[in-house]
Amino acid sequence: MGLEITLTVNGNTHTAELEPSTALVDFLRDTLGYKGVKLCCNTGECGACTIIMDGKPVNSCVVLGMDAAGADLVTVEGIADGDELHPVQQAFIDTGAVQCGYCTPGFIVSLKALLDRTKTPTAEEVEEAISGNICRCTGYTKIFDAVELAAKQMS
Amino acid sequence: MDYFEPKTVSEALALLDQHGEQAEVIAGGTDVMVDIKYQDEPGCLVNIKRIPDLNAIREQNGGVHIGPLATIHELEESDLVRERLPLLWSAAYQFASLQIRNTATIGGNICRASPSGETLAPLLVLEAEAEVTFSDGARTEPFSAFFKGPGQTSLGSKGLLTGISVPFPADGSHAVYLKHAVRGPMDIAMVGVAVMATANADKSALDDVRIGLGAVAPTPIRAPKTEALVSGKALDAALVKEAGASAASESSPITDQRSSGEYRGWIVDALTRRGLAQCWQALTGKEVA
Amino acid sequence: MAKAEYTVLGTDMPRMGGVERVVGKGIYGIDLNLPDALSGGVLRSEYAHAKIVGIDTSEAKAISGVRAVVTAADAPDKRYGRSYIDRYILAKDKVRYMGDPVAAVAADSQALVKEALKKIKVTYEPLPVVVDPEETMKESAPTLHEDMPLPKNLPEGLQVKNVCGYTGVNIGDAEAGMAEADVVVDEVYETRMIHPQYLEPRIAAARPEEDGRITVWANAQAPFPVRTEVAALTGLPLNSVRVISTDIGGGFGGKGSGVTSSAALEPICALLALTAKQPVMIVMDKAEETISTTIRSGCKIWIKSGVKKDGTLVARQGKVVYDAGGYSGFGNQAGGRCTQMVGGWYRLPNIHMDGFTVYTNKQVCGPVRGPGGPQATFAMESHMDSIAAELGMDPIEFRLKNVPEKGDSIVGVPKLRDSSLAETLNLAKEKIGWGKVKLEKNQGIGFATGAWIEGSGPGGGAVVKMNEDGSATVHIGKVDYGTAARFGIPMIVAEVLGIPTDDVTVLNVDTDASPWDAGTVGSRSMLVSGNAVKLAAEDARDQILRMAAGQLEASPEDLEIVDRQIQVKGAPSRSVSLASVCNAGHNEIGDVIGRGYFDSKASQAHERETGSSQPFTTHAAMVEVDTDTGNVKVLKYVAVHDVGFVVHPKAVEGQIEGAAAMSLGQALCEQVVHDSDGRTLNPTFVDYLMPTINMLPRIEAITVSGYPGAGPYGTKGAGEIGSVPPMACIANAIYNATGVRVRRLPLSPENVLRALREAGK
Repeated sequence: MGLEITLTVNGNTHTAELEPSTALVDFLRDTLGYKGVKLCCNTGECGACTIIMDGKPVNSCVVLGMDAAGADLVTVEGIADGDELHPVQQAFIDTGAVQCGYCTPGFIVSLKALLDRTKTPTAEEVEEAISGNICRCTGYTKIFDAVELAAKQMS
Repeated sequence: MDYFEPKTVSEALALLDQHGEQAEVIAGGTDVMVDIKYQDEPGCLVNIKRIPDLNAIREQNGGVHIGPLATIHELEESDLVRERLPLLWSAAYQFASLQIRNTATIGGNICRASPSGETLAPLLVLEAEAEVTFSDGARTEPFSAFFKGPGQTSLGSKGLLTGISVPFPADGSHAVYLKHAVRGPMDIAMVGVAVMATANADKSALDDVRIGLGAVAPTPIRAPKTEALVSGKALDAALVKEAGASAASESSPITDQRSSGEYRGWIVDALTRRGLAQCWQALTGKEVA
Repeated sequence: MAKAEYTVLGTDMPRMGGVERVVGKGIYGIDLNLPDALSGGVLRSEYAHAKIVGIDTSEAKAISGVRAVVTAADAPDKRYGRSYIDRYILAKDKVRYMGDPVAAVAADSQALVKEALKKIKVTYEPLPVVVDPEETMKESAPTLHEDMPLPKNLPEGLQVKNVCGYTGVNIGDAEAGMAEADVVVDEVYETRMIHPQYLEPRIAAARPEEDGRITVWANAQAPFPVRTEVAALTGLPLNSVRVISTDIGGGFGGKGSGVTSSAALEPICALLALTAKQPVMIVMDKAEETISTTIRSGCKIWIKSGVKKDGTLVARQGKVVYDAGGYSGFGNQAGGRCTQMVGGWYRLPNIHMDGFTVYTNKQVCGPVRGPGGPQATFAMESHMDSIAAELGMDPIEFRLKNVPEKGDSIVGVPKLRDSSLAETLNLAKEKIGWGKVKLEKNQGIGFATGAWIEGSGPGGGAVVKMNEDGSATVHIGKVDYGTAARFGIPMIVAEVLGIPTDDVTVLNVDTDASPWDAGTVGSRSMLVSGNAVKLAAEDARDQILRMAAGQLEASPEDLEIVDRQIQVKGAPSRSVSLASVCNAGHNEIGDVIGRGYFDSKASQAHERETGSSQPFTTHAAMVEVDTDTGNVKVLKYVAVHDVGFVVHPKAVEGQIEGAAAMSLGQALCEQVVHDSDGRTLNPTFVDYLMPTINMLPRIEAITVSGYPGAGPYGTKGAGEIGSVPPMACIANAIYNATGVRVRRLPLSPENVLRALREAGK
């Protein structure tokens, strides 16, 4: 049985049907077409599917799609201002933090949420914000660089 | 698969009565979604997330009342929890990634009844009580009676956890939660040890020592013999060593993909010693000598 | 040559495709949107070793919406493999590991696929399971492949079984050498299986075309081998199969060995599509991947070295037992490389090594990042520290005593043109502060060196097509997954053609259009495609300059291209735009198409003659060991590398840092855990522990210069060598901190504490 929900993604209102057991990540990707939300571990461990739900970063693979009814979501597609990249996005490019890029959307979203909370995050806060995002390519060094660069440019 | 979003506790209980074993309750979803993905779908899903007022955190009857739908991160952000229940706060902080802490609920962590559940050993040590509700009424019971085995609680298939009551720890008490994992908060604990104690009046001995152990028995447990061994005594190196060994002997860890039972025993020993030493130092200002 | 000679090379150009990645455009295989595609899925063996008595698909086929159900009976009777052709795309008669594909389904929805897979009834007759690579060689072990012979080169008189590869190393006289030694150190090391765990799941999609061809989409590092195998395994000629590489979300070799890597996902998908006569797409689940796709093997290594009192190495003997898994996969190649690398890269006159690659009932070996190297080096470089300790020598001094120099031969290299090993050792020592930094209790510093010998391998081509506005469209055979294809490669084209990198587009691989290539593996993107693209760009430039020469009334040799203008050298006012020449080319030769190729055979012959310059590295780590719990915290990590000339500094650092981090994961916590039935106990990321940012220090990658390699402008491969030293480096740091040698990976809290307790600490 398909159930209908209405939600907001990146400021756009969507009404669509989903099977009640559907994970939010699958609903966002397959039904609404937000392919920037990356599917990976399906267990809430890697952070590739991170989105901001009502102001908080969550792993959309372990959120029930039905729980998004009435919610306000931000995905990686909603972070740039038109063609103007968010400082975190630009910093990822400039520091070489994008290798294969598959984890990048999740990091961008987690860090956007962090930098919305504070423009001057401590090392501990950065670590807390993105320990739930696995990057298999970079060894994180360039990601540290990107966060520092973005924070510097935003403050 | 049938799907329900009850708007009240009694509506939820009626659904559980009706669907029994077929029903799976979902709150935050961080465990249930994984089950749905990797196991057979449940017959029906009862999503209690939208029942109002089940996520409150408030002071009540000389303690803190916590609604089961409070997320782990809401516990961390609560001044009441941070200031009055630092042990629980510490477990919440080490729980998992921020994304998971924003989604997972304390009720889910409790009802999952995994021996490694991060908040469980602290709740045992805090001598918290569960408010357990069935369609024919509610009762409270201590968590020491609530956990029956891995994944088993006194809720069975028809009860709901509707509240958690945590009494304020005694004034002047100190507690630590020590989690053993390779990647800190990101891993399921190999072992979790919660230690709480107070000092006697002249700070020459510990009183009311409580030790909770996670991931080393079919349920989270207290270590009563070890507690008795150290309560009322001044800690010295020999006693701490004896207490570590005692706590290890009170645990019955299994071997799994995370570590061997033998190793878990060693860690119970080490973390119990560490927890006691930290409490001793915080309460008396002295190192264990 | 100094960097200043170049306009583009040596700068940090933004990665091509960076914007798409940071804004979340759906560019990866998993994002493929194929209209009318069915969902596909694979039924995998639930036994690690069993006879297939029967498969009943009737119930699955009867489900409405199920469009194809296939088993081995539906596929051509053909097998695939790398060294041993020992595997059907769907298991026939027998399954050999838990995860072996048995049947596949295509249906209208993923839910129907799941339902249909459950309805397929496979009757198994369980057979004894062997998971231990040493046990499998014994007479008492079950036979895994009844019709596979022992390797032809196996030394005579050995009573072994289940061996699918042998590598011998014989240099000098190891027996005699050992007899001359003052000190002999004899040790045994063990490593565990890890999975590469690239984050993007494997996909395959296949669409039968109206003209009888089939198009296959794959997130594979080696699209051409995939095409060859899909054609062979579906019975189609090569010109009827087109493989298109999607953008790839990580690979690390795990997507690198043709259809072996994916356990034949691409030919299975093609078979489903051909049967259903409809497009089919299969997306693997990550837990399904852990149990079924290729892995870095575990192995056991015996290593014994003889040394003089002054620290001169005189002999080494050893044995490697390398676990290929249920099929040979890449096992023989990786096991062979491992065996050679246990021989080392120091000056060592007498070496004897026996390397056996063996079948067990586990996941299959693939070419995961430096195949064989990290395992070999864990043993070899830990062993070097053990020898130094036995001699009472400083570990750096002991290594420096034995480093190879110009003109020396080392295992796999007949003659070195130069040697950077000593420089990397000295620099690593300085950067970590060895002998200077004050170490607290239970803190220690460790070193390990590494090499990644650039040996033989196929060549490959490049095509640079000039567009009439002066921009360039580039075809190479290597794919982009954060590697050279869209970092360094466009820079080379831009440098040669005098255009900005924004004017260069490097296309992904489409086997209908791209030059053939063996795959983006072996740290060979720069060597093969870099050399080829340089020549192709030079070819295009020469054609352009010849056309421009007439207009400018100068000879082509006197012309240069600077900033999109063709000008007379020394008289820049005499110029014509690159665009106008490319445009005018339409009336002469159509378009300018530059072609270049890397002739691997000629390059190797040249290097045999002149000697070769090999990449070397030294890593240094500072750790703190919690002797109560066994926890190891890495406080500082330095990776000094010679990778020849550096085209894109951040790309190279990124490769080194990432490779090091991956092996730090294997050092500290990563492993695929099996029970004695061959079941994987940690298939999901819940218990498959990869490094997170909170457990790693910032890795400091440093490159040294002055040792040009065989790549364009003197580059050397940089993608794998960073994964070689870390496991030994951490083990050596733990030894330095505690005096205890841990010889079994991972250096997890449990293994470390166990070793400490066994040593009475």
